[in-house]
Amino acid sequence: MNRSLARIPALLLVLLFAFVGCKKSDSGAGATPAAKKPRIAYVCNGVADFWSIAKVGAEKAGSDLSANVSVHMPTEGISDQKRIVEDLITRGVDGIAISPIDPVNQTDLLNKVAKQTKLITHDSDAPASDRLLYIGVDNYAAGRLCGALVKEALPNGGSIMIFIGRLEQDNAKRRRQGVIDEVLGRPHNPTNYDVPGTVLKNDKYTILGTLTDQFDRVAGKAHVEDTLSKHPDIGCMVGLFGYNPPLILEALKQAGKLGKVQVVAFDEDAATLQSIKDGNVHGTVVQNPYMYGYKSVELLLALQKGDKTVIPASKFIDIPARQIRKDNVEAFWSDLKIKLGKRD
Amino acid sequence: MKKILGIFALLVAVCVVTVLFSDRFLTAYNLENVIRRTALFGIISIGVAFVIITGGIDLSIGSLICLVGCGLPWLLSVKGLPLPVALAAVLGASLLIGLAHGLLITKLRLQPFVVTLCGLLLYRGLARGLTGDQTQGFGAAHDGLRWLATGKLAVPGLGGFGVPMPCVILLFVAIAAAVFLNHTIYGRYLLALGRNEQAARYSGIDTSHMILLAYVICSGLAGLGGTLFVLDVNSAQPVDFGNFYELYAVAAAVLGGCSLRGGEGAILGVVIGAALMQVLRNMITLTGLPTHIEFAVIGAVILVGVSADEVVKRLAAKRRAAREAVVG
Repeated sequence: MNRSLARIPALLLVLLFAFVGCKKSDSGAGATPAAKKPRIAYVCNGVADFWSIAKVGAEKAGSDLSANVSVHMPTEGISDQKRIVEDLITRGVDGIAISPIDPVNQTDLLNKVAKQTKLITHDSDAPASDRLLYIGVDNYAAGRLCGALVKEALPNGGSIMIFIGRLEQDNAKRRRQGVIDEVLGRPHNPTNYDVPGTVLKNDKYTILGTLTDQFDRVAGKAHVEDTLSKHPDIGCMVGLFGYNPPLILEALKQAGKLGKVQVVAFDEDAATLQSIKDGNVHGTVVQNPYMYGYKSVELLLALQKGDKTVIPASKFIDIPARQIRKDNVEAFWSDLKIKLGKRD
Repeated sequence: MKKILGIFALLVAVCVVTVLFSDRFLTAYNLENVIRRTALFGIISIGVAFVIITGGIDLSIGSLICLVGCGLPWLLSVKGLPLPVALAAVLGASLLIGLAHGLLITKLRLQPFVVTLCGLLLYRGLARGLTGDQTQGFGAAHDGLRWLATGKLAVPGLGGFGVPMPCVILLFVAIAAAVFLNHTIYGRYLLALGRNEQAARYSGIDTSHMILLAYVICSGLAGLGGTLFVLDVNSAQPVDFGNFYELYAVAAAVLGGCSLRGGEGAILGVVIGAALMQVLRNMITLTGLPTHIEFAVIGAVILVGVSADEVVKRLAAKRRAAREAVVG
């Protein structure tokens, strides 16, 4: 037993060497021209189709502007993201664009990175850090756009439940707050924060609560079902992370309530877009992940060449969100398919 | 039977509390949902119960669910394989994985923890590699197959209530498992070798084969569970589909009376254990408790319940001992 166990590390080591060896010879073939290109790293906050679109944009910018772009999607949350960034610094890159998972508590790490290389944030900002600029959407404004869709879907008022992956992220908090403030007709104030779990209402609308599933899709769908149990007369369900609306649709379909409960979405999952076409989703708010990727690489290259004029005074480059309804879904979807190449 | 009385009482207590705080718990729609979820988790829990009875553990269940859950829609939608072939491929792969676990554990004498921990890393990695980390789903296709997870058998006279299909499947699995465990010689072998493998071997039981069988059953049921999970949700993301489900399965098995030391276990208890966790999660949403304290509530309720069960059992034992002393 001991002997066989002892052989495993040795075997693994051999496999590892073989693997690394292969990788080396792979990159070795094209190394000479590639070595001169600036190296840009694009770090996401997880694995999602959203990031696959951003990846296409980042890589397109890399080939347009002749840079070596690597895209990294951390799989195990914040510690994994830290590991990736540290390894990138060790390897040496000319610029990093990152979507920080926990901006407030990652400030130290981000500042360390900013000392070593050009650092910008995308998708979710870390305003307290030394990042040069932030590329992304104003999530509060995007949330308000989504809230406007909710009001369109429920012109006579009604009850609303919000479904979201998690609320720890700055973008998630602001997005949700934007929906709430718009639906309840409050003035524009991105610093508002309503604690989840409290029922919020005005004379027309009641926001029943916010349910988080921590990316467990089985749990996410269960939340929708439980909401249907608890509030059979619910007016509208809002899914704020890309995978939430398809889960809402799935649960509604199984309950035979498709079309009877209004659905408002966020992001551009294929099931969401199809349901807008079919009339089962009122509309969705889409960001522009392709442009996040493209702009991040473009700006980092400019910064790397010493061009500081690309940094605006606000340090914020807005890639605005858009509302997609039945009338423009077709055009949006076909454009998306073109950007993603042949992928459907 | 006595062992599962405690967990059953806890399940009833949680149901009663939920009914008191929410008039929606007993609606047909909600009960169907809870039963369907219980069935899905119950199937994988019964699988791991067999392994736990032999004194082993399987940590790879969640990753195997991911491999099957992403693999089935991938084979059908991306690779365009015919349905029977794709189903046979994922279920066959599950059984082979179980066989591999069993062989590594019995022939190479590796520890089950190590083998299945490597499986945990391996199968999820494989799923991510095969699918290129893309979300997999059936789209609008395969509604017939998805009926296995989303359909229900109407029960006349019960106000629209129907038995969810996964529950029917669970029923078959549970009855087969219970009969196998309690009424066949092989079931007795499993329980015996779980108590004391050496003694079982010396009394002529082919313990290697029995352990092998337990791992094949476990992975096979995890594969079946993974298939049903993805048929139900219609969307599987390789990076997190089925994450930690091995812990739900192990917890349900242990709550239901399986001892992690091996040699003990009852199928009905395992199903009740799975139900307890699903009812707790349902209770949290129905009563409007914030979802971010969900796990804290589940943990606290189970801990209090299990502790109370133990205290009651000890008091009963003490009283019995005292009575016997008086009589004697």
